[in-house]
Amino acid sequence: MKIDMILRVRDVPGMLINALGPVSGHGGNIISVTHSRAEKDIVSVHVSFKVNDESSLELIKNALEAQKIRVAEIKVEGRKYYLKKALSFVLIGHVIDSDIQDTIDRINKVGLVSGLEVVMPSPDVKSSVLMEAEIDEKHYTKLIKVVSDICSEKDFLLIRSL
Amino acid sequence: MKTIKLIVVGFGTIGKGVAEVLLMKRKYVEEKYGASLLVVAVCEYNGTLVNPEGLDIDSALEYAQKGKLKDHPDWKPIKSLDAIKEIDADIVLELTPGDIKTGEPGLSHITTALESGKNVVTSNKSPLAIKFHELTGLAKRKGLVLGYEATVGGAIPIINLYRDNLEINKVNSIYGILNGTSNFILTKMFEEDVALDTALKEAQELGIAERDPTYDINGVDTAVKLVILANSIMDKRISYKDICVTGIKEVTSDSLELAKKHGYAIKLIGDVVNMEVSPRLIPLNHPLNVSGTLNAIMLDTDIAGTLTLVGHGAGKIQTASSVFSDIMDIVRSKK
Repeated sequence: MKIDMILRVRDVPGMLINALGPVSGHGGNIISVTHSRAEKDIVSVHVSFKVNDESSLELIKNALEAQKIRVAEIKVEGRKYYLKKALSFVLIGHVIDSDIQDTIDRINKVGLVSGLEVVMPSPDVKSSVLMEAEIDEKHYTKLIKVVSDICSEKDFLLIRSL
Repeated sequence: MKTIKLIVVGFGTIGKGVAEVLLMKRKYVEEKYGASLLVVAVCEYNGTLVNPEGLDIDSALEYAQKGKLKDHPDWKPIKSLDAIKEIDADIVLELTPGDIKTGEPGLSHITTALESGKNVVTSNKSPLAIKFHELTGLAKRKGLVLGYEATVGGAIPIINLYRDNLEINKVNSIYGILNGTSNFILTKMFEEDVALDTALKEAQELGIAERDPTYDINGVDTAVKLVILANSIMDKRISYKDICVTGIKEVTSDSLELAKKHGYAIKLIGDVVNMEVSPRLIPLNHPLNVSGTLNAIMLDTDIAGTLTLVGHGAGKIQTASSVFSDIMDIVRSKK
């Protein structure tokens, strides 16, 4: 599968080679490397490569992070890649009538709503909605805050997973 | 044989349960520890049974059962605070129900007992939720024991288990189902697809929920217990007002059905780390997924790993088990 990875490395000699080492070291077949020096002391490196599977990608990502190289973005076949920490939660309230598209859009700014099931007995009765969202684990707390803020604002009861 | 004199304050459900267990286990304590447990006073809101030589427990229970404690030959119009202060005793068992806003009358009972040099064992959570460090500090300064095992989790011996067996562990988190009534209601809604009001009505008919179940349903009871766990086990300095509390009133049977479909149950969880009481989704195979009136407490520690304790969170005999856990500590330490 094709991977596009954006790395942010310090602008010192040898850093680019260090950054590429883990990619080829874990079976990544590098297609292209471009870099830009738009920021002082930091180089943004865009590496495109191919790997056989997700576990190889994880190995590469972990090796880079072990070298203190920041992985700013990963795309798999052009789609944003998450570490797939999943959060399930139930919202109880007038969830549909309170602009459900807005609710989903706000959650998608931090993670990705990957599942949604609604029980709406009648328009005047509160509905119950179970949502599943995927999130990069580093942003987990942020997602909880976004969902909690939405619930306070729209008067939903939030039942999140333990 | 050594004699341990007890003053029982509050002769309601818990007080009677403690008296019944005393009758059942008195001989065991005498044989194993050479200690005679003597109840020298039973205080109620309008007077006190007093007998310095030891009250006849059977007869006190019999009169209380008929609601005629006032007709008992040992009945005196002595107020509880005066009895606690003036009657010679080793332990005051403070077993009254508490007012969560003021902690009274338990707060005054406990303070007076400690000030007058008596150890205290209590099942009353409100005074501890309001003045935990003040009361434990007073007991420490006086060189006395303040036992409060029965305030959290009914028969689950969480406080003393930590103190006696887990002290070396750093506790990273505590999650608990600490209210039997709300757990019964959520279980009923989950298993039988009924609305909260229907489940609550059944709980009341079975005597599980009180006539006014507000504190159970709105999470206050769980929050109060959470404060005690946080202060005693995680060395926090918090009181009830620091807890963010959401109850189960708004939980719908639809939401439980959705949860079940996706492999979850909904439980009212006390979460010490986030200082929060709220309904939460837990996987069906999670150790905290206990049903009916059961309570469960899960500790995550740095050495012992994860521990989960499950047991009856209420019931007069079960709560008396925890009261006796504290009494026996004092019996063992008394020369």
